[in-house]
Amino acid sequence: MSSAPLFFHDVPLNGGDAPTVTLEVPAHRTVSIVGGEDSGVGLMGRLALGLITPSSGQLAVLGTELATLSRRELLAYRRRVGYLPAGDGLLQNLSLRENVALPLRFGSDLSEGEIDSRLNIMQAAAGLTQVGHLRPAQANDEQRRRAALARALAFDPKLVVLEDPFVGLTDRVARSILEAARGGDVGQGSRRTVLALGPSLPASVIPRFEIRYRLVRGVLQQEG
Amino acid sequence: MIAPISALGNVGTRWLSRFGALARFLLVTMGSWRFLPPAGRSVVRRVFMNQVWFTAIQAIPLIVMLASILSFLVISQAVRELGRLGATELIGSLMVIAIVRELGPLLTALTVAGRSGTAIAAELATNKVMGEIDALEGMGIDPVHYLVLPRFLGAIVSVFGLILLFDLVAVLAGLGAAVANGMASPRYFDIVLQSITFRDVWLSVAKGIVFGMVIGTVPAFHGLRAHRAATQVPVAAGQAVVVSIVGIFLLSAVFVALYPLN
Repeated sequence: MSSAPLFFHDVPLNGGDAPTVTLEVPAHRTVSIVGGEDSGVGLMGRLALGLITPSSGQLAVLGTELATLSRRELLAYRRRVGYLPAGDGLLQNLSLRENVALPLRFGSDLSEGEIDSRLNIMQAAAGLTQVGHLRPAQANDEQRRRAALARALAFDPKLVVLEDPFVGLTDRVARSILEAARGGDVGQGSRRTVLALGPSLPASVIPRFEIRYRLVRGVLQQEG
Repeated sequence: MIAPISALGNVGTRWLSRFGALARFLLVTMGSWRFLPPAGRSVVRRVFMNQVWFTAIQAIPLIVMLASILSFLVISQAVRELGRLGATELIGSLMVIAIVRELGPLLTALTVAGRSGTAIAAELATNKVMGEIDALEGMGIDPVHYLVLPRFLGAIVSVFGLILLFDLVAVLAGLGAAVANGMASPRYFDIVLQSITFRDVWLSVAKGIVFGMVIGTVPAFHGLRAHRAATQVPVAAGQAVVVSIVGIFLLSAVFVALYPLN
């Protein structure tokens, strides 16, 4: 099995008869896969998180083969991966701050005081200090996306999977979201391994992606 | 000839499979408290309190009204008719068996299923449609912990409390009806208190817990099973309330079968 943080081997994206995908996302790299609605790109994030199970092939994330995990192990595994779902996935009846707090409250043994301190730091880093009390419906696209990303990074994961991360954002905000997901630079590349998925990328962020693929009817084509 | 039997078998298998999934969902929900971290428990407590507020506290006027009207009508008729036969002491049995033991729990549960069961199913189905369930799963948060467990516990506490309220109001409204029809209040209390046994109280409590479990489980189950389409929200709410009502009636019959009337 590959030692890459994310490894798809012969995984069909659109049912059993569809072409299979083999992909290795190397550590400390920022990788994008774009494709149309019917390409299967929308399923790759859900597959990587173990939200759906491939009908065949092998899928390993951070050295863990997802098919072997029990439900509880799968939930624990997902806390090691940052996930920004398409549409943000923020809970509408919670404030942005409460949304960011959810993984800490349900996925750690931290006390309320420790969670509050950590939240203050996360809010400040995400630029949400002034708007943390807003509900998602009251916030703009940028604030919602920043909150969803802060929530995805709550446990400082090594791998981050972003679905449609730049939709509705200006170039400046798109770049800043990507930089926050990458977590800065280290000797080998970005601190985190990032996989961004979606129908397209804004031109301003394309240079930040070291490896770019286009998915056409289940077949990966490297670009650039 | 074989086709109808096969179709019937398919329907039966589907129902059995759904019932099995529902039973498993109930067991998972009941066992989920053990795996909650301390900070998660405080969130669950908060959602639980909200659920009790919406399900129990806001339903108090409705339950008081239903219990008063039902009891007043039944006892008024009974005092008149039984009085003519000289059998007014049977009012106690009527109050305890018909209202406290059977109709109180049944009507309360049906009211809560209609009011809060639909709300729970619609809320969770909306969570599903909006992608919030997938987002929770993607963060490693079990939706049962955050969404189902507090509603399940809230429904049990609410139904239990509302049944006790229904019974209390029914007894008091029965007093009003009895007095209005010429019966002295001490005699009314004598008759009713003589008819109430520990078993009646225990059955009311047991029904409160069991019906609460149905209302806490079935709507959540249907809400979480909704597909990601807006049209699924009313479908889930409709299925939830129908299955809850059928479940409550069936369990009411089971109670009568297990604990027949004296």
